[in-house]
Amino acid sequence: MQLKKRQGKIRAKLSTLSASLIAATVAAHVEQADAQAYGSEYYNTVTRNDDFGPGIAYSQIDAALLVYFEQNGRITAIEPTAALTVHGAKDQLLTLELTADAVSGATPNGAVRANVAQTFSTPARTPDSSYSVSGASGGSTIVHVAGNTYIRQYTVAAGQLPMDKGFEDHRGAFNLGYSQPWGWLTQFGAGIGYSMESDYSSATGDVHAAKTFNSNNTTLSLSLNTEYDTSSPYGGVPGAFALADGAWRSEKSRSKTQLGFVLGLTQVMTRNWLMQLNYAYDRQNGYQSDPYRILSEVDSASGEPLRYVYESRPAKRSSQSVFWDNKISLGPTLTEISARYFTDSWGIKSVTGEVSERVDLTSRFFVEPSLRYYHQTAADFFHYYLVSGQALPAYASSDTRLGKFTSITYGAKLGYALSGRTELYVRGGYYVQTGNGHPADAIGQLQGQDLFGGTKAMFAFIGYTWNFH
Amino acid sequence: MSNFAKRTGLRIAACLVAATSLTSCTTFGPEPWEKDLMAKKPMQIDAYAFEKAAADHIFFSKEASSGGRGFAGGGCGCN
Repeated sequence: MQLKKRQGKIRAKLSTLSASLIAATVAAHVEQADAQAYGSEYYNTVTRNDDFGPGIAYSQIDAALLVYFEQNGRITAIEPTAALTVHGAKDQLLTLELTADAVSGATPNGAVRANVAQTFSTPARTPDSSYSVSGASGGSTIVHVAGNTYIRQYTVAAGQLPMDKGFEDHRGAFNLGYSQPWGWLTQFGAGIGYSMESDYSSATGDVHAAKTFNSNNTTLSLSLNTEYDTSSPYGGVPGAFALADGAWRSEKSRSKTQLGFVLGLTQVMTRNWLMQLNYAYDRQNGYQSDPYRILSEVDSASGEPLRYVYESRPAKRSSQSVFWDNKISLGPTLTEISARYFTDSWGIKSVTGEVSERVDLTSRFFVEPSLRYYHQTAADFFHYYLVSGQALPAYASSDTRLGKFTSITYGAKLGYALSGRTELYVRGGYYVQTGNGHPADAIGQLQGQDLFGGTKAMFAFIGYTWNFH
Repeated sequence: MSNFAKRTGLRIAACLVAATSLTSCTTFGPEPWEKDLMAKKPMQIDAYAFEKAAADHIFFSKEASSGGRGFAGGGCGCN
């Protein structure tokens, strides 16, 4: 409506432009009629697995289960998710998403392997807890210390990657979002979310706007988001390079704030080719260390571990990324190729490339193999270990996720349309990281150890989608 | 300013406005009646958003990079 009013005024003042404006108006009407034609076609063709088309209110339920497990008895996670999406007749969109997950298993504690057995002390989950865990590389025992607190100890055999087998957590999260056309904007909306674990909570909020133009071939979007996270580790928050002796700390929690935006351009390039280009900027400030992660401090000659200290990461981190996605439809196949470049103020640079090929074998059944490549450089403060007698760096972490490595993910997806409006799909994946486990400057016994504690994981994602009135 | 200069200026301005307007009438990309493939579900940018978010969550918890497709971060203490 606003567009038509504006066009009328312009036409009255600038008669020379009237021809082109009329042409534009005609094009808009053709487009509207065309959209309606598409809508009725899809509405009536219930055997197809397409959506309801423009101007038709409907709802969608998504339910999914993610099962994830790492090799060598490391992390196992089970994550059920459900979402309700309500599409209004006037392009209103309401989404509610609920997620739960249960994570357990062993996780590397950050110490390096050694040619001797290593014993680690960490605060128990609560002062009164009395559970113990055991595993191939050593069990753990509860040790009572002064002050009515408890320390959990576990021993790792010589040559084994030091892992804490007492890792266990549950998470519950919800996200709520709403958007609709608003004035000149094609879509305008906001969302909130909250996620809670026993030792971590996260509150998020976002505002987003999108404008579609160029005969619906181009969409510009801007999303702003903020996050407030609180880390409340068992045993309190350890200070930077504090001795990892299992002692409880007086500071119970620390927080961080995050602000970011994503600027997006979506362009229909040809009848077969859809492209998306995103630029994202993100800034975090506050406590970003992993409160459970330690570093080995080793003897400068023998490389033998002498003691263990908690890691320390900078309080500020800003990152930028450019993401480029392409979908190309050719006959029964749909190719998706995406690339991402990421850089941050911690010195990490990464490239990601992903390709998938969907092949519709029948009108109901499709397969989609995929391959993902990822490579990152190390953070400036990444250290495999610290050397006794040397000055402590300002920041240090031995978290492999901040080190240099490459990962490859092999995946395959199978999808089956149970009816025109329901679909069941399964995606399986194998994820493997490779890094340098034998740095040239390794000291003493460390030269004979694999210092890279990378991950190999398998996952399966089972999803169900149902569109209904 | 002479009348000639004024007329020339107005003509140039009119041409520029007309050119801009005409440009806006031509579309970059397919015409509306060529959107059959774009209307298919798997061609939507947010198709299988659920699955992509789950995959991003896995990668985010194992790698130092996040975001790109959407926001950075993951609302969990996994990294």
